[in-house]
Amino acid sequence: MLEIKPIINAMLRSKVGAFLLLIQIAITTAIVSNAAFIISDRLTYLKQDTGYQEEALFTFNVMTFGRDVNIDQQIELDEAMLRQIPGVIDASLMQTVPLSGSGSASGFGEKPEPEKGKQVRASYMFGDEHALNTLGVKLSEGRNFSDDEIVVHGSDGKQTAPSVVIASKAFTDEMFPEGNGLGKTIFMEDKPVQIIGIVERMAGAWLRDSKPFNALIIPLVKTDTIQDFVVRTAPGQRAQVMAQIEDKMLALYDKRVVREIEGFDLLKSKYNAKDTLMLRMLVVLIVVLVLVTALGVFGLTLFNISKRTKQIGTRRALGARKSAIIRYFLVENTLISVSGLVIGSVAAYLLGQQLMTVFSLPALPLSFIAFTALSVLVMSLLSVLAPAKRAADISPSIATRSI
Amino acid sequence: MFTHYLDLSWRSFKRTPVVSFLMVLAIAIGVGVTMTSLSVYHMMSMDPIPEKSNQLFHPQLQTVDEGVKLWTKDGMPRQMTYQDAVNLMNAPIPERKTASVKTGFSVHLDSSTVKPFSSAARLVNRQFFEIFNLEFINGATWSENDDLNASPVIVIDDYLNNKLFGGGNNVGKSINLDDGQYQIVGIIKTWDIHIKFYDLNNGAFQKPEHIYMPFSLVAARELDNWGNTNGWKFEPSNTFQDKLNSERFWVQFWAELPDEQAKQRYGEYLMAYMQEQQKLGRFNRDELVYKLNNVDDWMEFFSVVSKDNKVLVALSFMFLAVCLANILGLLLAKFLRRAPEVGVRRALGASKRQVFYQHLVEVSLLGFLGGTLGIVISQLGLWGVRATHSVYTNLATMDATMLFASPVIAIVSCIIAGLYPAWIVCRTTPAIYLKSQ
Repeated sequence: MLEIKPIINAMLRSKVGAFLLLIQIAITTAIVSNAAFIISDRLTYLKQDTGYQEEALFTFNVMTFGRDVNIDQQIELDEAMLRQIPGVIDASLMQTVPLSGSGSASGFGEKPEPEKGKQVRASYMFGDEHALNTLGVKLSEGRNFSDDEIVVHGSDGKQTAPSVVIASKAFTDEMFPEGNGLGKTIFMEDKPVQIIGIVERMAGAWLRDSKPFNALIIPLVKTDTIQDFVVRTAPGQRAQVMAQIEDKMLALYDKRVVREIEGFDLLKSKYNAKDTLMLRMLVVLIVVLVLVTALGVFGLTLFNISKRTKQIGTRRALGARKSAIIRYFLVENTLISVSGLVIGSVAAYLLGQQLMTVFSLPALPLSFIAFTALSVLVMSLLSVLAPAKRAADISPSIATRSI
Repeated sequence: MFTHYLDLSWRSFKRTPVVSFLMVLAIAIGVGVTMTSLSVYHMMSMDPIPEKSNQLFHPQLQTVDEGVKLWTKDGMPRQMTYQDAVNLMNAPIPERKTASVKTGFSVHLDSSTVKPFSSAARLVNRQFFEIFNLEFINGATWSENDDLNASPVIVIDDYLNNKLFGGGNNVGKSINLDDGQYQIVGIIKTWDIHIKFYDLNNGAFQKPEHIYMPFSLVAARELDNWGNTNGWKFEPSNTFQDKLNSERFWVQFWAELPDEQAKQRYGEYLMAYMQEQQKLGRFNRDELVYKLNNVDDWMEFFSVVSKDNKVLVALSFMFLAVCLANILGLLLAKFLRRAPEVGVRRALGASKRQVFYQHLVEVSLLGFLGGTLGIVISQLGLWGVRATHSVYTNLATMDATMLFASPVIAIVSCIIAGLYPAWIVCRTTPAIYLKSQ
């Protein structure tokens, strides 16, 4: 019925064309399934919920060189001014800006140093009682810092250690796997701190960290000549607030430099630039590759048809219907494609293994290969359709004409 | 003969413009995509200081206690402690060496013409400029005395000179960095490197600093480290002196070792130094280890060329292979259709070799055209890369090597693709075609 045998015989007469097509389909399947997987892997990474409303948050840095003000007081004035700008929801001095790729991390232990005990690594930020509201993260348990829990390491040089901390759920879950992390004490080096609040989700400084959501807020304000501020605005108001920051800050005190006024979304995209690049290049690669392969199938079928014009005419003259001609090319193409897809799937799997061991990418799920193979088959059949239609239109009279 | 073949090729191109154009397009796209990823790869892996890259060494000393695991690739620290850096800087060998730390200031002049701004700065000794072949436009490096006495002197680059003064020789003038006044002793040509190979800690593609000053100022003025500090054990850290005395890693170090002998001698010195320090109670471990990394090793250690880049280059070459398979098919079709013509030529006395050669010339022409168009496509691709992020501004460009490589790759791959069709067509037996004419 499907004339498979004569098709195979015909194909064996001109092996090279079929072989080239098979190779193309195989490589395309191998590349596309791996590239698609890397793309989906990066997309999941880039699209993950960081716990922050990135479009509403921004940060800036201030370097004070003037020595004629008391920096502790100046910061209070700055914060008060920032909070009063229309459109600002809250603002806070923070050391270590989340998502920025630069900050501090440390192991927090169940026992004080130098005793050995379980340690869990976390990225930590210093902030005051406004930090939580400024970042816009939600407490799932416990409470915010109270005013008297904030420790100030100011210009007087006195240093005391904070006694409480707010932790992310990811951190407490790792530190206390049985749950109930709230109220427990952990140690920063040799100093005990009590977990008074747990935040549902909050990313630290590095999204590429092995534990990006292990993060702590420590109620500490370090007044220094270099400070980072974080500001949260009402939706849609950010650009307008950001534009005024430098002038307003310098108007308050001008012997300083205000710099790096940047939205959280930009911080994140800067940090993730190479992932975005990889994503884009792979998308371009896939699209172009599929187009080129489709073009190859198209061209080869056209070539086949031109070579077989006379035979097709003869078949038509002998009573073959147009649909039979179209079917012939579709079946031929399916045969080649399927063999190409089988080889390609194996190659895709092997390539995936290779990428996994050499470049430590995650293992390629078989579903990606299956889906790619199916799409390549459909694409290949679609590209055959037009030339096959053209073949079907060959007039039977061509058989009687000599070339 | 070659020009004649070229002429024939051009005629053939014009006779079947659609197929020929499709082939050129296929090569162009293949080469364009490949060259885009290859150019970025090339820029990232390019030797930043070819004349010296195997003479400049960044030592690593394994100074953590037995049993402590560092998170680095080889378990060794990437930077040094302040103590070790200072000791090695004061060591008798080698002749040229420097510690190096990144810091930063707000820069302001007493005049109101330049708005205060912030700038990163680098703390080094006077030999730094010689070690990295930096060129002075005006003035020179500071004196040995300045190094010893932590003098407030700086060398700035041309970029900063223009920004502050609008250019000119400004040696001798002073500028304010935070609350201190510093005198300019030299102006260097702005350092034009794509990879900040001398300090890879905060990203390989950062720009070099615009200000350089004596390393001794670190302690004298308690300057902040703008780079990374990594600790591995519990240490008090209340004063700046604590930091200087600590076992924390935050200082980079470079030594110039001109030959293998110097390298070996320095290796022995480092080992002796570590043993001596061990006697003083530091480095509590059974086995003392040091490593001397040249510029290439150092870039490798920091994975300057990321895995992503390598994957992309591999994938693009596979993509090129698909394009070639495509072209091979089209070429086969095109050449075979011309068999009657070839038959006649053969009958008229053309040898197989000549027919083969003629077809390869034709294929090379396609390759050349495709390669040229490929450059245009890769420029488009590189523009896309640059648009992704400013980090890539300097990296996503094509240098002369890559510009030259693109038609070469195109022609070579076309010849590879053309070998089989050309061989098939040159085997044409004249008799068949003569009969039917």
